[in-house]
Amino acid sequence: MIDDETLDLQLREAVPYINDDGFTSRVIAMLPVGRREPQWLRAMIVVGLALIGTGMAYFLSGGGSLVRQGMVQIADFPIWLLLVFAFGCGLVVGAFAVIFAIRKTPEVRNLTRLDF
Amino acid sequence: MELTDADLVARVLADDDQHAFGELVRRHQSSVRGLLRQLTRTDIALADDLAQEAFLRAYKNIRSFRGEARFSTWLYRIAYNCFREDARRRKELVGVDEEQWQAEQDPNTVDPGLRHDLMHALSLLPLHERTAVVLCCQNGLSHDEASRVLEIPLGTVKTNVLRGREKLKRTLAAWGPN
Repeated sequence: MIDDETLDLQLREAVPYINDDGFTSRVIAMLPVGRREPQWLRAMIVVGLALIGTGMAYFLSGGGSLVRQGMVQIADFPIWLLLVFAFGCGLVVGAFAVIFAIRKTPEVRNLTRLDF
Repeated sequence: MELTDADLVARVLADDDQHAFGELVRRHQSSVRGLLRQLTRTDIALADDLAQEAFLRAYKNIRSFRGEARFSTWLYRIAYNCFREDARRRKELVGVDEEQWQAEQDPNTVDPGLRHDLMHALSLLPLHERTAVVLCCQNGLSHDEASRVLEIPLGTVKTNVLRGREKLKRTLAAWGPN
């Protein structure tokens, strides 16, 4: 009886390379056209909308008076409150950063068996 | 320098580059079509239709490819799912199933030559053993990769490969080319 390696070799040799014969062209012809915009265009749209929104907010708030008032109010807060606020923001941002890092790293995700 | 599969996938993701996807199809069409021909028992037209469907699905869902496995393994999984769905649909439509097909086969009607004997013996294996043998022995996937493709436990893959191999060896020995 033949051994495993010989059998595997014969199995591989029994299946010849299949020539493309227009297969790839047929697949490409069936792909949906213009599925989404290129990445740079999407980035430009997002940045453009953000700039327009910022400009509108600035002018609608009376040349930024709302921002100035907000800054004055924050400056009046006790320092411990600002520190607690900053610490809380840091925790939230850090938690999101850890979650996204785990999502992007399969080895860590498998290790922790977390699935977000 | 030739781009890797990962580079080509990145281009498809970034710019929806259909030329890059075309290169991926060109690279993997033979193995995917070969796998499906084995699964469909050399029904070439059906296998090619399923392969086309598999590549289209791969393109539409390429964002779900996270690079945890090789691109080819991911493709095999999609191709296998296409085959499974089609087999289920056919079974519902015409009522042909694996056992019936095997009962209809006459083991004495064997083409001459080891290659034909081997392919015939392979086609006589039950689907779960045939699929495991084709993936692991013919396409060089590890047992772990095959278990991901087939979505079955690693131990089951090992058992199926072992049983499939043993049956192939026995059949080939009985036919006597070796």
